[in-house]
Amino acid sequence: MAKVELKINGKQHSFDVEDRTLLVNLIRDHAQLTGTHVGCDTSQCGACTIHMNGMAVKSCTVLAGQANGADITTIEGMAKDGKLHPVQQAFTECHALQCGFCTPGMIMAVSGFLKDNPKPTDDEIYHGLEGNLCRCTGYINIVKAVKQAAKAMSK
Amino acid sequence: MDQHEHHSRLFKVGGAQVSRFEDMRLITGNGKYSSDWNAPGQLHACFLRSDRAHARIVSINFDKVGQIKGVVGVYTGADAQAAGYLRPPSFLPPTGKGGMKARVPERPCLAIGKVRFVGDPVAMVIAETHLAALDACDLIDVVYEDLPAVVDPEEALKPGAPQLHDDVPGNCPVEAESGVEAPVMEAIAKAAHVTKITVDCTRVTASPMEPRAALIEYTADTDSYVVHTPSQGVNMTRKQFATYANLGEDKFRVEIQDVGGGFGQRSTVYPEYVSMMMAAKALQRPIKWVSTRTESFLTDTHGRANLITATLALDKNAQFTGLRIDWITDQGAYLSPTGPAGHIRNATSCMNGVYNIPALYGHFKVVLTNTGWVAAYRGAGRPDIAYAIERVVDAAALELNMDPADLRRRNYLALSDYPYKSATGSTIEIADLPGLSAKALALADWSGFEARKAASARKGKLRGIGMSAVIEPTGAGSYPRDEIDISVDGEGQVTVHTVAHSQGQGHETSFAMVVAEALGIATERVKIRQGDADRAPHMVGNHTGGSRSMVGAGTVCHIAANKLIDAGKSLAAEDLGVEPSQVSYGKGEFTSAHSKKKITLAQLAAKKTLAAKGEGTFISTFPNGCHIAEVEIDPETGITEIASYLSVDDCGHVVSHTIVEGQMHGAVVQGLGQVFGEHIVYDKESGQMLTGTFMDYIMPRAGKLKSIQMEEYTTLSKLGPLGIKGMGGSGCTASLPALVNAVVNALGVRHLDMPLTPSKVWKTIQQTNVKH
Repeated sequence: MAKVELKINGKQHSFDVEDRTLLVNLIRDHAQLTGTHVGCDTSQCGACTIHMNGMAVKSCTVLAGQANGADITTIEGMAKDGKLHPVQQAFTECHALQCGFCTPGMIMAVSGFLKDNPKPTDDEIYHGLEGNLCRCTGYINIVKAVKQAAKAMSK
Repeated sequence: MDQHEHHSRLFKVGGAQVSRFEDMRLITGNGKYSSDWNAPGQLHACFLRSDRAHARIVSINFDKVGQIKGVVGVYTGADAQAAGYLRPPSFLPPTGKGGMKARVPERPCLAIGKVRFVGDPVAMVIAETHLAALDACDLIDVVYEDLPAVVDPEEALKPGAPQLHDDVPGNCPVEAESGVEAPVMEAIAKAAHVTKITVDCTRVTASPMEPRAALIEYTADTDSYVVHTPSQGVNMTRKQFATYANLGEDKFRVEIQDVGGGFGQRSTVYPEYVSMMMAAKALQRPIKWVSTRTESFLTDTHGRANLITATLALDKNAQFTGLRIDWITDQGAYLSPTGPAGHIRNATSCMNGVYNIPALYGHFKVVLTNTGWVAAYRGAGRPDIAYAIERVVDAAALELNMDPADLRRRNYLALSDYPYKSATGSTIEIADLPGLSAKALALADWSGFEARKAASARKGKLRGIGMSAVIEPTGAGSYPRDEIDISVDGEGQVTVHTVAHSQGQGHETSFAMVVAEALGIATERVKIRQGDADRAPHMVGNHTGGSRSMVGAGTVCHIAANKLIDAGKSLAAEDLGVEPSQVSYGKGEFTSAHSKKKITLAQLAAKKTLAAKGEGTFISTFPNGCHIAEVEIDPETGITEIASYLSVDDCGHVVSHTIVEGQMHGAVVQGLGQVFGEHIVYDKESGQMLTGTFMDYIMPRAGKLKSIQMEEYTTLSKLGPLGIKGMGGSGCTASLPALVNAVVNALGVRHLDMPLTPSKVWKTIQQTNVKH
C-alpha cells in the first residue's frame, strides 16, 4: 500500500491506495470526482486528461504514487466562482459536445494546450487534439471551440 | 451560406442565444454515466473470457481463487444453466425464404460446454474490489479442446465448414427474400448493359467513448432488480432483461442519467448484465462491472459486416430496369437482438435508393462465424444498402463512359412520382432528388472539376470527385405508439416525460424547443425528463434508435403540449367565467375576450392539476440527401486528404439547426472512419482479433475532415404535424459512398474495398501504374 498526499482542486487529500493504483482511479474512486473519465486502456482516448502541476496529462498513465505531492486540477475545478473557464464556455457555445463523455478530457487537454500555444494555427490545433478521441462531433465544432477559446483568452 | 451563418440562426429562443440544457453538467464534470453509479456495499465483477475462437470446455478449475483476499464467488455456465439465462431476445422474423423457420441459437450468459469467439465470457468472479476480481480471473484454469474456427462468412457457408451451433445447420440461421426474383432476372436477361459489383461493407465497431458498465442491485422484498447501464431507452432495456432472464418487465427498474454515445451498440442487453443478476441475488449485494476498452472491442456488438453483391440492369437509354441484391450478413457467433432483423428490414425498405427501378429482388443469407456478435450500428443496414447501390451506379457510369451525375439524373424518381410504391413493398413518402442534387452539383461546381484536377496534378496529386444520392427510412418503431406526459407546476415550470433516451442527441434541448414553441413560452421553462424510473414503466414508447426520436417522441411533444392547452382551456373556463370554447390561449396565458379576464399557466396550475398525455403512432419518414466529396491523394504516400465536402440534405422541418448540423458532422465522420481506417479484423487461422485497441483500430481524428459545406433542401413530411423527417444516421449513409466514389475516381479503378488506408491506396497506385 502507498500513502498518497496531494492537492486536488485546491483541497489537500491523503489516501492509502494499492501500489498499482492509477491516478485516474484515485481521482474517481477515492476522491470521488467522477468528472474524469476512462475511455480506453492504452492512453489513446484522452478522456482521463487532468492537469498535474499545471501540465495536461493523461491520468490513466500516471501511478497514484507518482502524483504524491502534486497539485491536481480536474474538470470539477475549472469553473471559478461560478464562472466557466473560457474553454468550457466555448465548448457549449460552439456545440462542441454531444454525449459529453470525452468532453472533460477535451477541455483539460485544450486548456493545457492553449497555455503552451495561445495562438495556434489550424494544423497545430489538429496536432494538439491528436491524443483525444471524440465519437460524436466529428471534431469540426471542437476545433471551432478551440479557436473561440483562444480568442477569448487572448483578450 | 457558410456554417457560421447557420449557427447564428439557431438556438435563438426568445431572442437569447442559449446552449444546450444538458451542456452545463457535462462541461463541469457533473454528468452521471453508468460507471459513475455506486451503491453501498457493492461488490465488483470481472469476467474470464475465452482466449480462443472455438473450443470445447473440458473443465474449469477455480480452486486457486481463494488465494486472493476478498474473492466472494465464481460463476460459470453451470450457474447460467441453473438460472435459465440462456436466450437473449431476437427480433428476427420467425420465418424466412420459402417458409424457412429461423434457427435462433441459445446464448447462455456464461458459456456452457463450448466457447465460440475470442471474448466469450466463461466465468465471472465477484470480489470486494475490482483488482481482487481481476487477479482471481488469472488463477482460474480452463482446459479447452480446440475446434477448427471460421471467421469468414463465405467460408462459414461452405459444406464442411466448422459448425458453431448444433441447432443451426450450415451456420445459417435464416435466408430471407424481398421483392420478386423472376422480373429482376428477366430485366437482367434483356438488359442492354449489366453492371455487377461485390462490395464489402466492412465489420466495424461503434466505439462510443463510454465503455459499457453496469451496477445491478437486487431487492429481496420484491424479488426484483435495479439496473444502471447505458441504454437507448429504459423500456427497451427492461423488455430485453425480462426476456433474457424469463422474468416480468415489472421486475426491472432501470435508472440512468447520461449515456456516453450509443450508435445502436446500447440497444442490446448483454450477457454480462444478466450474469451479474445471478450474483446480486445470491450474495444480496449490489454488483458493479466496468468494461475495459479491449473488452469493448471483443464483446460489444459490432456493426455492418455485410458482403453485398449488386447486379444492376440498364436499357439502351441507361435507364435502370432491375436490381438484384445478394447479401451475406455476418452476425458473429450468436444473434444479437437487433442484428439481422434491422439489416434485412432497412435494406429492403429503400432497395431502389432514390431511383425508379421497376424490378427489385433481395436475397439475404444470415451467417454465423467465430467472431463477436453484430447489431445495429448508425443506420443498421441503411448505409450498407446505400453503399451498394451508389457503388454499382458509379461502376455502371464508368463502364458506360458516362458522367455519374448524368446517369443518376436519368434515373431519379421525380417529385411527382412520390409517394412511390417500391417493388419491395415500401411506400416512400416524398423526396426531390432532381432538385436537391442539382443544388448540390451547382454548389460543388461539379462541372468545373477537371480544372481542379489539373491543378492538383500540377502539384503531383491525384484528385477525385464522388457523389452519393441517398434516402433511408426512419420513424417506424417497435412499440405501438410513443407517449409523452406533460404537466405544469404552480411556478409555471413545464415538465415533460419521455422514454426515448438521448445518448448525445440533445433531447433535453430539442424536445424543450418543440414544447416551448407550442406553448409560446421560454424554452428555459421546459424541463425534459428522460426515462424516469418511476414513470417509465407506465408509459409506452420507443427507445432512441434508427434516427427516429424527433419523428416520434419529438412530434408527440407537440401533440402533448396542444392537449395540455385544450385541458387548460376547460379548467380555465370556470375561472374566466366563460365556456371552454370561449377561452383562447397564447404565450402562457388563457384569456377570454368575453369576460376580459386572463389566467396564466402558473396560476391555473397552482389551483388545479394541469397535465396531459400525448400519443402518436408513426410510420417511416424518408430523409434524403446528396453529398459530394473531393479528395486529393499523394501518390508518394497513399495518404488521402479531403479537399472539400458538401452536403445537401432534406431532413424535413428542422427543430434545431445546431443539433442537426452536429449530428450531420458526427455521422459524416463516422462514415469517413469506416472509409479510411476503422476495421475489425480477425486472424483467419487463429480467429484472434487483430484490432483490439485504439492503437490498432484507427478512429478518425481531428483535422481529417476540416469542414462541411452544409445546405438544406427541404420537402416536408405530411406524416406528422411538424413535417419532420428523422435524421442522425443519414450523414453516415451518404458519406460512405461519396468518399469511396471520390477515391475510386481519383485512382481510376473500378472498385476498392474499405478501409482505404494509405498502404492500400499506395499499393493500388503501384499496381495500376504497372498496368499502364
